[in-house]
Amino acid sequence: MTPVKGGYAVDVPVVNVSEMARRDHATVWTTLKGFSVTLRHLFQSLFNGDTPTIHYPEQTRQHSERFRGTHILTVRDDGSLKCVACYMCATICPAECIYIEAAQHPNPEIEKFPKRFDIDMMRCIYCGFCVDACPEEAIIMSREHHQAAYGRAETIYNIEKLMARPGIDAKGPGYRPNRELAEAKIYDKEKQTACPYPSVVEERHPAVLYESMIRKRQ
Amino acid sequence: MPKITINDQIYEAEKGKTVIQVADELGIQIPRYCYHPDIGIEGSCRMCLVEVKGAPKLMPSCATPIADNMEVRTNTERVQQAVRYAMEFLLLHHPIDCPVCDQSGECWLQDYYMSVAGHESRYPLGGKTRRRKAFDLGPLVKLDQERCILCTRCVRFTRNVTHTNEIQVFNRGHNSEIGIFKDRPLDNAYSGNVVDVCPVGALTNSDFRFKVRVWFLKGTDSVCGGCSTGCNMRVDHSARATGGGVPGYTASDGQVYRTVGRRNVDVNKSWLCDEGRLSFHTMERWPRLQVAAGRIEPTATQDLLMTIHETFRSLDGAIAGLGSATNTNEALFLMKKYFTGRVDFRLSKEVETYQERQDDLLRRLDKHPNTRGAIDLGLAGDLGGLKGLREKAEKKEIRGMWISFHPQLVGEDPPEVIENLRALVNALEFSVVSTTHEFEWARRASVLLPMAGWSEETGTYTNYAGRVQMTRQAVAASGSAEPLHALMATLLRLSGLSGMDGPAKPSAIFDAMAAEVPAYSGLDYETIGLLGAAPQEAAR
Repeated sequence: MTPVKGGYAVDVPVVNVSEMARRDHATVWTTLKGFSVTLRHLFQSLFNGDTPTIHYPEQTRQHSERFRGTHILTVRDDGSLKCVACYMCATICPAECIYIEAAQHPNPEIEKFPKRFDIDMMRCIYCGFCVDACPEEAIIMSREHHQAAYGRAETIYNIEKLMARPGIDAKGPGYRPNRELAEAKIYDKEKQTACPYPSVVEERHPAVLYESMIRKRQ
Repeated sequence: MPKITINDQIYEAEKGKTVIQVADELGIQIPRYCYHPDIGIEGSCRMCLVEVKGAPKLMPSCATPIADNMEVRTNTERVQQAVRYAMEFLLLHHPIDCPVCDQSGECWLQDYYMSVAGHESRYPLGGKTRRRKAFDLGPLVKLDQERCILCTRCVRFTRNVTHTNEIQVFNRGHNSEIGIFKDRPLDNAYSGNVVDVCPVGALTNSDFRFKVRVWFLKGTDSVCGGCSTGCNMRVDHSARATGGGVPGYTASDGQVYRTVGRRNVDVNKSWLCDEGRLSFHTMERWPRLQVAAGRIEPTATQDLLMTIHETFRSLDGAIAGLGSATNTNEALFLMKKYFTGRVDFRLSKEVETYQERQDDLLRRLDKHPNTRGAIDLGLAGDLGGLKGLREKAEKKEIRGMWISFHPQLVGEDPPEVIENLRALVNALEFSVVSTTHEFEWARRASVLLPMAGWSEETGTYTNYAGRVQMTRQAVAASGSAEPLHALMATLLRLSGLSGMDGPAKPSAIFDAMAAEVPAYSGLDYETIGLLGAAPQEAAR
């Protein structure tokens, strides 16, 4: 082979089609062999139910565990929102679709919580940067991608809608790159020296109310 | 003048200065936490260490006065090593909670970690000392002791500037912490400044806390409109919209989130009073006037101004203008031109009080930023102020008036002023009220025009001492509001009184004013700049 100009010698196999057909006896016999494959698949799908198509609205396809679907706001063990309203997701978001309003959390250890957390799903481009940026693994993505709505207003998801949606549990979460980091608990609050000034948490504080919201749903 | 060598470069420096002051003037970067030019020297943070030839140890540049033939190096390996160690100690028990810390984005720990430290911590994360978090020092300031690096800037501020001594260092050694006495909260009139001087997230502003992350903000250098002192401030307002189509989110219109003191040695050093710092909230106190209203059927502003001009002309000279000492010099100058000098601005006792101090630091009794400017323009004439105008209107000597009203940004307008304004509007045959908000007293005006307020227009204020300073537009005016100078320029163009054509640029108006008014001769926007132009005593 002559070297390709300015590059390396490339060993391109030369296939002579008519020569190959003669060697493989590409005649009636081969044609029948081909049909038999078709028929095998026909009968298999007719009688064994071995079919790649699915009955869509009733059945849905299982997506990969890295699927970047509708976002989920995760919760702590006590049911309160993990989000600390640090705005990292809103900062990184290239579509500028995340809107957060922060407020003082009753527990000074946590400092902040989102009074409002809205994602404009029509603007979102599902890049997953928000999940990458989150320091608390408070926002992850699901495998859900159905967002049909009757109006634009419905496509803006608020905290309640982002926290827990039916159908998420059955399928499991989607894109979640920091899971190991979050579960390793490198910053374990329990192992730390206790804060010498424990604070009293109001019962009816909005941050605590999310907890009761979850309980009600269950 | 002593000669000093910094990093092999020989400079001449003023005697009595410290090394860091000389370096700052020359633009040589020396990291520091505890040094602040306006609150006295402490030398506790060990960040500004430099190598001085002949000295066995590194010297803190903030506390080392310069000497002749001194040789200083700021960038040797020894200095860098020392600063890295200092940073490692400062960050030893720091909680590193940058995501939830309100200071992040403008935190000096973050900046210096990235620029001069970059070390890896040798201390286990779990073993950090816990201290008290997020508790109130006073109505405006919250303290987080875990984030504090004990630079004692706040302590020295209350000791040396306000002389109130609320904040102190308690306990000794490792146990030292910043705090207040139980029965003495930090509630002096200048408490917000400790947040400005705090280089880390230990002291945060309760008013601004959690409202927005600082990297979403854009700063516009402006001047406080709260009183006649004219403190320099930076107005921080929204610059980037997030949230997409989320309803109720109005960042695209621009919103002022906070104001921060801007250093001007001749006016306010680095300080602001709390009233002035929070004065931007005044603009949110009442509903804003969005469109023109009044007894005359409102149309487009241009047509309306035509009608206004025709009506004024038909009144045969029985007209006058009432400016506001919160209007810019440019607007008042054009107003004076249109009404051929028959303009006043005095609502009550501005002229008597504009130089009187309210305390010994910054505040003055007159709560208008531009009283001196109005006086320099010659508006304190024989019309007798608001009271005189009211009497003249009731005697039908004045039948038509343009009343420009901007509410006081600090405090409330006195009730008798409002009463006089109401009576004036009622007595007039034809009244045009240009104002920022929907005020109840102005409802009976013939024409109600929305006017851009403080931080929504560019122009100049002249402070109590005659210093001309620029206030710059930070956010868009609400609704169809226009700055008063633009309204007046249109009116003048309609009347053919001025040769001005095209859009009214404040800088062009100022140039015209500088040519006519002796107090401003030789000045333009370039010479005024960021810090204002000093008063010209010769011109007075």
